[in-house]
Amino acid sequence: MKKIFIHLLIFNSLIISNAHAYLDPGTGSIILQAIIGAVAAGFSYCLFYWNKVKNILKKKNN
Amino acid sequence: MNFSNISGSFRDPAGQVFENDDRIFRIVKKQGKNRYESIVNKGILEDSISNNFLIKTKEVNNEFKKYINEENCYFLEHEKLDYISYPYEWGFYQLKDAALHHLNYQIFLLKRGFELIDSSAYNIQFLNNKPIFIDVLSIDEYKEGEYWKGHSQFLQQFLNPLLLSSHKGLQFNDWYKGNLNGIKTSELNEVLNLKDKFSLNIFLSVVLLSRLEKNNKIDPKKALAKIKNKNKFSKNSYTSMLLQLKNWIIKLRPKEKKTIWDTYSSENTYKKEEEIKKLEVISKFSRENKPEILVDIGCNDGLYSFESLKAGAKKVIGFDIDINSIDRAYKFSQKNDLNFLPLYFDAMNPSSNLGWDEKERSSFKERLHFDAMLALAFEHHLALANNVPLEQVVAWLMNVAKKGLIEFVDKEDETVKRMLYLKGDIFPNYNKKNFEKNILLKGKIINKTFISATRTIYEYNKN
Repeated sequence: MKKIFIHLLIFNSLIISNAHAYLDPGTGSIILQAIIGAVAAGFSYCLFYWNKVKNILKKKNN
Repeated sequence: MNFSNISGSFRDPAGQVFENDDRIFRIVKKQGKNRYESIVNKGILEDSISNNFLIKTKEVNNEFKKYINEENCYFLEHEKLDYISYPYEWGFYQLKDAALHHLNYQIFLLKRGFELIDSSAYNIQFLNNKPIFIDVLSIDEYKEGEYWKGHSQFLQQFLNPLLLSSHKGLQFNDWYKGNLNGIKTSELNEVLNLKDKFSLNIFLSVVLLSRLEKNNKIDPKKALAKIKNKNKFSKNSYTSMLLQLKNWIIKLRPKEKKTIWDTYSSENTYKKEEEIKKLEVISKFSRENKPEILVDIGCNDGLYSFESLKAGAKKVIGFDIDINSIDRAYKFSQKNDLNFLPLYFDAMNPSSNLGWDEKERSSFKERLHFDAMLALAFEHHLALANNVPLEQVVAWLMNVAKKGLIEFVDKEDETVKRMLYLKGDIFPNYNKKNFEKNILLKGKIINKTFISATRTIYEYNKN
């Protein structure tokens, strides 16, 4: 049992160090940017049209 | 010529910063030549300086003709800053302004087809109360479809420390000093609770990013494949993301936490006439000495710094252990547009030499170049609250500047009585006679002003 545990421990630490060696920490950030960029661009489109609608309504009221 | 390299600038293969004869220069190397020529030719350098984004920079090739070769292509001179400070020495509002400065500059550049290729908070410095970008070689041409390379770094070095303070009321400075790259997103994620995570911004920039980073570590091949399949990132998405971050950061405030120094200026234990006497001494000292750079140790919200500036000091760098005081002092400096930069500082654990080869970020001691010092209502905090022997306190203070004012507080003072109430009087050598004796070991006493029965201000000159 002890042997298996040690084996697992070494195996786990290998996975982690391999992962660090192969992957730039920015990978997560790129995937996230694709998501946030789309959300933020969507919001800014909505805001643009919302402001247009508001301006039209304001003009009408004036 | 002696090119004394500045040790913090080793990371960039495109250039090297060095100091010579009290001036700051940058060599643009072969690797940075095209980049530099493009920012000059397209007017980016000039526009960035005139819009107060970038530190004043000019080409000085004429002075360095014999050093120009295939490897060293251009020599630039930058305006010299009075004091180099680091993000772990800034208050909340200073880091916030630095973050906004970075984002505004990135948006400004993107409009003109350029971008910043990294997001190091150390590339921003303070000219009194305003942030300024200092690394000209961090600017490069933007290529359509590219992702923001500095995104992850921006979160770690700017956003995460601000969130730690605004959501949890935790001061970021000591954590930041412990890990010079700021605060890791995965660590912040562990600190935030469910309520904090209900915000969409936090969910995306902290929770989701931590999850993605964790998954990518477990299965890097899958992560790389995902990135390869990603569509190009539009300029519109890039700009929208920067604006969304900007709007979020504008709203951030530190979580309110009252500190013992919050009401110091208004509720300290001495009386009005004592305060007037104190201001007179400070005013006279600055009027007579007109220091180029004065240091105010224990500056609180900047009242004495302000008095010194009015009387003739050109610039003041203030230090205080209380982060709320630093925030107030910074706002005070901005409101009155003073040549005053307040910074967070713990005299019992001052900034040391840190980073690569222990030279990347300089210690407090290495950055000492002050003409004069104020240390008012300060020495007893070292000698009595922290048990530093009186002779060491005096020697340390006199090492900060060759002349200055030090206030000595007697044991009979109300503040001191309070400090010793539980501790007991374990300081038999703490008295005025010993204090004076220790000044005389290192220099002269120029003036002695009795502020009250228990407080005296000494003006000293170091030998």
